[in-house]
Amino acid sequence: MNPVSVIGATRRFGSFVAVDDVDLEVAAGEVVGLVGANGAGKTTLIRMILGLLAPSSGRITVFGQTQTREQRRRVGYVPQNLGLYRDLTAGENLEFRARIFGSATDKADFGDGLVRDLPLGTQRRAAFIAATQHDPELLILDEPTSGVSPLARTVLWDLIRRRAEGGAAVLVSTHYMDEAEQADRIVLMSRGRVVAQGSVDDIVAGSRVTEVVAAEWGRALQVLEADGRMVTLSGRTIRVLADTPERVNRVLLEAGVDARVTTAPATLDETIVVLES
Amino acid sequence: MRAMILKEFRQMRRDRRTVALMVGLPLMLLIVFGYAARFDVTSIDTAVVGPSAEAVAAQLGDVFEVVVVDPGGDAASATELLRDSKAKVAIVTGSPLRVLLDGTELFVAQSARSRMSLLPPGTEVEILFNPDLSTSAVMVPSLIGLILLFVGTVITSLGVVREREQGTLEQLAVTPLRPVDVIVGKIAPYFAVAVIDIVVITLVGLQVFDVPFRGSVLMFGAFGLLYLFVVLGLGVLVSTVSHSQGEAIQLAIMVLLPQVMLSGMIFPLASMAPGVRWLGYLLPLTYFVMGMRGVFLKGSSIGALSRPLVILGVMAVVIFVLAILRFRRDLAPKRATDVPATEVPG
Repeated sequence: MNPVSVIGATRRFGSFVAVDDVDLEVAAGEVVGLVGANGAGKTTLIRMILGLLAPSSGRITVFGQTQTREQRRRVGYVPQNLGLYRDLTAGENLEFRARIFGSATDKADFGDGLVRDLPLGTQRRAAFIAATQHDPELLILDEPTSGVSPLARTVLWDLIRRRAEGGAAVLVSTHYMDEAEQADRIVLMSRGRVVAQGSVDDIVAGSRVTEVVAAEWGRALQVLEADGRMVTLSGRTIRVLADTPERVNRVLLEAGVDARVTTAPATLDETIVVLES
Repeated sequence: MRAMILKEFRQMRRDRRTVALMVGLPLMLLIVFGYAARFDVTSIDTAVVGPSAEAVAAQLGDVFEVVVVDPGGDAASATELLRDSKAKVAIVTGSPLRVLLDGTELFVAQSARSRMSLLPPGTEVEILFNPDLSTSAVMVPSLIGLILLFVGTVITSLGVVREREQGTLEQLAVTPLRPVDVIVGKIAPYFAVAVIDIVVITLVGLQVFDVPFRGSVLMFGAFGLLYLFVVLGLGVLVSTVSHSQGEAIQLAIMVLLPQVMLSGMIFPLASMAPGVRWLGYLLPLTYFVMGMRGVFLKGSSIGALSRPLVILGVMAVVIFVLAILRFRRDLAPKRATDVPATEVPG
């Protein structure tokens, strides 16, 4: 039995369906990236797994059981807002959490400053240590790197990977696509539903974009945007998402723009944008 | 400007607490000052004892409401009746006629004294428990209740709501801590501070304001303990229905103000209109004030104070259990059967 097993979980708030019939498994030693835009249902799903919110229907088990207080001893959680006492020092926060879980306090030195006075990256690292110093078998992180510098993100991901290598099941929500690539498996959510899941290669496999190279690239971009196409720029090459080369070519020809239209493999970002649209 | 006014009205309409405060508070003040905030006493519970008790009782009129007639009684039994709060005024018939007044009820005693001219010349008037009708002697014991209400309800609710605002309550909800661990751990420091408050106010009252302490320390402790559970429970209850510290303060004011006005601490219960007086009897501070005046000033017997003590005890159990149950809801693991129909996204 996997540490996390979600079968057909749905959560409604009145007529609004925040999570819609979601299946999700997280195995021991695996890092699963929960990816999606704001409002996709990631946090609601995480709150249901943690037992903070009841599912309207479906079945969620953690370590093979529905939520119990005792199994919380085996879980570590870093919420988006960190869950640290801002008017205590990081060390005092670590000591408090260690006492609750009956574990040793991590020796990390954050100085004597109050949490509210620490840089966000340091706060996030402290929150991560606070959630992991009791060696949880399941680690759930909600947007753990939001708002921190690339260096601090690298440090945090290093810590996350080390936990997984130690055998912990890790579920990480993020809206940074480059981060999602660090996960062993990605679960992509959009409007409450899982729209794709698998490794990065699985998700982008076969996914292609239309590339447009034109001398008048500015005009070509204008024409495609005016026609309602989803376009991005890579240098001076225009990449058109979710469209066929034939249709793109026709639009450009009708506008009198001379261009070379081909296809190319889509990036994870582009694939996700298409899947979410 | 019109847009601003319209927006403000829309926000106000949706902020039910503010509307309740804006509409409810003036209504409450109207009721309080219309029916309760009176210093003029219209009815005084009176005991008449001694050989001519029945004859004197029959002649009494005006504000004196005869509640005890005891021809076999004497000055000592009359004093006991006042000590046990069975009456506010006791008339001991005989020669000379003696009138004993309960000095812990300032306005009642003053009102009764002002009517002594109706009694035959030579009548002896004695004010018991607080002969100088000292305001501080009456107010300081009651003030303990008010300060505890403030520390217990306002400060505690703010402390708990701050956890919710910072998201640390949610963090506690994913730890193995039981709700009772959280709630007891959370309020224990407030409890300790409140106990220190009680001791300090009492010592200042005794030393600086010369307030007498005639009753049992044990009863004082029992009232203090039960009342603390009531106010801390109220604080937790307020916090469970407040999402922000602002909301908690609004609600705490609504809990606090009626108690200050209707508990008998400032305005005598005897002068309130019956309906409003009954509201006063629903409030914990009313019984704490009764207890403290009994303990400090009258040296009332345990039997005499048992009624307010038991009522306070029942309130403590009900409010504290309710607080734990409501608090539990925030911390217990949620399963599929727990979905409330009306919940909105958090």
